[in-house]
Amino acid sequence: MNGSSRPRGGTGKKSNRAKSEARLGWLIAGPAFFIMLSVTAYPIAQAVYDSLFSFRLTAPDDRSFVFLQNYLTIFSDVEVFWQALGVTLFVTVVTVAVELVLGFGLALVMHKALKRIRGALRTAILVPYGIITVVSAFAWYYMFDINSGFVNNWFSWVPGIDSDLDWFANFPTAITIIMASEIWKTTPFIALLLLAGLAQVPDELVEAAKVDGASWRQQMTRVILPNMKAAIMVAVLFRALDAFRIFDNVFIMTNGSANTEVLSLLAYRTSIGRLEIGLGSAVSVILFICVLLICFIAIKFFKVDLASGTDAKGGK
Amino acid sequence: MGGSFGTPHGGRPARVVGAALAAGLLLSGCSGEEDVPVLTWYINPDDGGQATLAQQCTEEAEGAYRIETSLLPADAPSQREQLARRLAAGDDSLDIMSLDPPFIPELAEPGFLAPVPDETAEATTEDTLEGALAGAMWNEELVAVPFWANTQLLWYRESVTEEAGLDMDEPVTWDQVIEAAMEQDKLLGVQGTRAESMTVWLNALVESQDTSILVDPEARAVDLETNFDTAEGEKAADIIGTIGTEGLAGPGVASMDENQSMLLFQGDNGSFMVNWPFVWAATKAAVDEGVLEQDLLDDIGWSQYPRVDEDTASAPPLGGINLGVGADSENQDLAFDAIECIVQPENQTEYFITNGNPPSSESAYDDEALEEDYPMADAIREALANAAPRPQTPFYNEISTAIQQEFTPISGVREDSTPAETDSFIVEVLRGERLL
Amino acid sequence: MASNGKLTGRQRLGWTVLTVVVLLYALFPVAAILATSFKTQADLGNASFLPSSWTWENYQMILVGDAQGLFLTALRNSIGITLIATFIAVVLATLCAYAIARLDFPGKKIILGSALAVSIFPVISVVTPLFNLWRNIGLYDTWLGLIIPYLSLTLPISIWTLAAFFRQIPWDLEQAAQVDGATQWQAFRRAIVPLAMPGVFTTAIIAFFIAWNDFVYGISLTSTEAARPVPAALAFFTGASQFEEPTGAISAAAIVVTIPVVVLVLLFQRQIVSGLTQGAVKG
Repeated sequence: MNGSSRPRGGTGKKSNRAKSEARLGWLIAGPAFFIMLSVTAYPIAQAVYDSLFSFRLTAPDDRSFVFLQNYLTIFSDVEVFWQALGVTLFVTVVTVAVELVLGFGLALVMHKALKRIRGALRTAILVPYGIITVVSAFAWYYMFDINSGFVNNWFSWVPGIDSDLDWFANFPTAITIIMASEIWKTTPFIALLLLAGLAQVPDELVEAAKVDGASWRQQMTRVILPNMKAAIMVAVLFRALDAFRIFDNVFIMTNGSANTEVLSLLAYRTSIGRLEIGLGSAVSVILFICVLLICFIAIKFFKVDLASGTDAKGGK
Repeated sequence: MGGSFGTPHGGRPARVVGAALAAGLLLSGCSGEEDVPVLTWYINPDDGGQATLAQQCTEEAEGAYRIETSLLPADAPSQREQLARRLAAGDDSLDIMSLDPPFIPELAEPGFLAPVPDETAEATTEDTLEGALAGAMWNEELVAVPFWANTQLLWYRESVTEEAGLDMDEPVTWDQVIEAAMEQDKLLGVQGTRAESMTVWLNALVESQDTSILVDPEARAVDLETNFDTAEGEKAADIIGTIGTEGLAGPGVASMDENQSMLLFQGDNGSFMVNWPFVWAATKAAVDEGVLEQDLLDDIGWSQYPRVDEDTASAPPLGGINLGVGADSENQDLAFDAIECIVQPENQTEYFITNGNPPSSESAYDDEALEEDYPMADAIREALANAAPRPQTPFYNEISTAIQQEFTPISGVREDSTPAETDSFIVEVLRGERLL
Repeated sequence: MASNGKLTGRQRLGWTVLTVVVLLYALFPVAAILATSFKTQADLGNASFLPSSWTWENYQMILVGDAQGLFLTALRNSIGITLIATFIAVVLATLCAYAIARLDFPGKKIILGSALAVSIFPVISVVTPLFNLWRNIGLYDTWLGLIIPYLSLTLPISIWTLAAFFRQIPWDLEQAAQVDGATQWQAFRRAIVPLAMPGVFTTAIIAFFIAWNDFVYGISLTSTEAARPVPAALAFFTGASQFEEPTGAISAAAIVVTIPVVVLVLLFQRQIVSGLTQGAVKG
């Protein structure tokens, strides 16, 4: 569905009108545009510049130009940088995959639910969406924490879990809880996007498939999913970019111990913890480039159409 | 109502935006103007003692200045992070700062701290305990004023030591402590979490062998060398690694900080614990509230920090807080006046009684009132006399972080590899060849 | 579409189970931290979900006790900063989305594209340069110093959501008003604003959630009670003594800051859902 088309003035003699309309458009859309860009474009340019220097905030006199040395240091550091990149990618892939399945389930439930319970379901599912990530991180942390948690006690019948298990002391368990908190908080977002996608599938197509005797699975794979492809792709891309920037829950739960360091945390610790502005800016720039790469790959190879819905002009 | 659109000058929308921004500016807090100069004192979290002292000294100043406190984050590295960034930014509101000693060199080296005037130095440090004074110096200059000093004792359960046949009037060694805990199937209270407390522990083990972690703490980043890859470094790693691999600190050792080790020590499996004196006040409070039994309190004893070698006196950790003044503060003279007021020995005594943080001045221990609340006051004073500071270097944060990364979890510490790896890790990080 | 309300017993059971599962999934972690917030200091290690004796002491500590200085100022900062940022973002985004939905001008695509680009931007990449800039121009540790970055967080989604809303508004009303001799601006105010209000309101809620949730800017661009927001304060909480875990206080504070979220969700769940789904997918 497109917005209703605007009636056009007569052809010709539009130049003046077009000019004033352009001016008006930029006048009222400009402030938002300018603020968004100034808070992001200028600092990232500054970060690129800073990343070419060896500069430590507590040694202001020792600033020196080192060109790409910071990047070399980072890329040659297997134990820290590549490890953090690997963990970040792992978290991104796993959380997005799990969320897609869970979110689709939730979307289906909401889509098919009766009017009576739809409100309750929506309310419940919006709570994780609205909750502060830091709060979600603390909630999960305290549940599993060896000192204040109850999970070990509840699940002591599961092999491998007993009151002596410290979830945050080794990588597999720590990363599991970090991912669980991430999944819990952000699945509703994916579910809502998919719900919108489900609503776009024309009912008559589904009905037709039913009449043709298609099983539930065939309806899914041949009618519903193909028609939702665009919505799924957009949801996946947005979540992947979001998950790639994961920071809050790692910061709260482990602060990078047990090998759970992620790229955002590395950037934070280097530039704000160690005050190594040069090295930290280089990590920040690399993180930014990674995000761009993910976007590029998604648009180029998976044909994610982000522009759908941006076309504000009426159909001609 | 609104001019017609299409005219080049800004119409109503621009004005709406402008008004909104102006409202934002107005709301973003303008403090009321006062004639009395306000000194901002950035304090580490405590039990309210520093806020009380700020109030007292404000009253004593009779209008010369007013001290307002502002709370820093809970852990020392985060405190350093906040202060270092603001000092580097030339922030003029940093009048008085509560500083953790290991981070002072990093702030003093680039000149972020105002030099302490001679008269303030004379008035405040004439009877300061030696260890505490060393922590306030950099390049032979006093750059901060000692406020309180902290150290650790060995706390033990008398029932356990009796069972083990240990004479606690004599110095005990780590080996004896480990052996007693193993024999009786009890747990040790140590700080095994990845935090500053790990460096505190390791530094005490190295210093107790008359060695320092750094060869020359004042060396430049590229020339820095450590003493890890030595017999002393290996012995320290051996003690930590044994406690880790034998599970002597319980299952939660990887997240065990000062408070958790205290809770472990108070439990049924408690035996020994190395910890700051706050544990005494906290345990007593828990008994008063009826959470813990009086029997437990009666069962607790204390002695000097365990030795590494039988024949070398132990060098317990040194902590505490020194007060510094920001180089860009606009009220430096007043700030030092306020500091002189804050660190008076009687204030230090009062602060010890109310907040459990021991004085850095010798004379503050002479107060009779201390004995009642802190029967271990003399033991603390003795420990402070032997206490050794953590390495005083501008790169302390890097060194400490590297140690924490290499030595946690303590179950993975091996005497034949961990010290050597830590050594090369620190050297490479400081040369800018590796990330932390 | 949902079925028409006539359910067999088995279907009813199935729906009941599904609903319970979804409710458990969504609310269990919140319930857990809620239960923790009522535990006494000694009870925290009891290894069970519920407190053995319920207490208000954690709430007392953060609202009237020792931690109130830290928590209440943070709460005031958070509420003030978030509301101002939300208000400004919604005003600017409304103008911007109106221009995009209604006017024909070169650069529309650029504006929408950059909104998208800004929304995927890694915040951590810009905190250090922003910190340096802020301290040079005196915005560090001030309300305005957080409001501006919050605008960059909230504007993109606000613009997208509102643009989607505005495309559905019957614009003939505006023309009708214009025919009556009103200027474009007046026509916009009289005819369109009332219709646009629900969308604007929904956008405001979503923007509020986003700003309320920020952590990285909060810990990087503030350092005192002057501007520190709640999420940052939570990470800096301490217990009664230097070494005591503030588990109870943090849990209580977490519940307090979750209340506004829950209230908004309860009141406006329908609008929030439609707002989110419209902004993301072609309406």
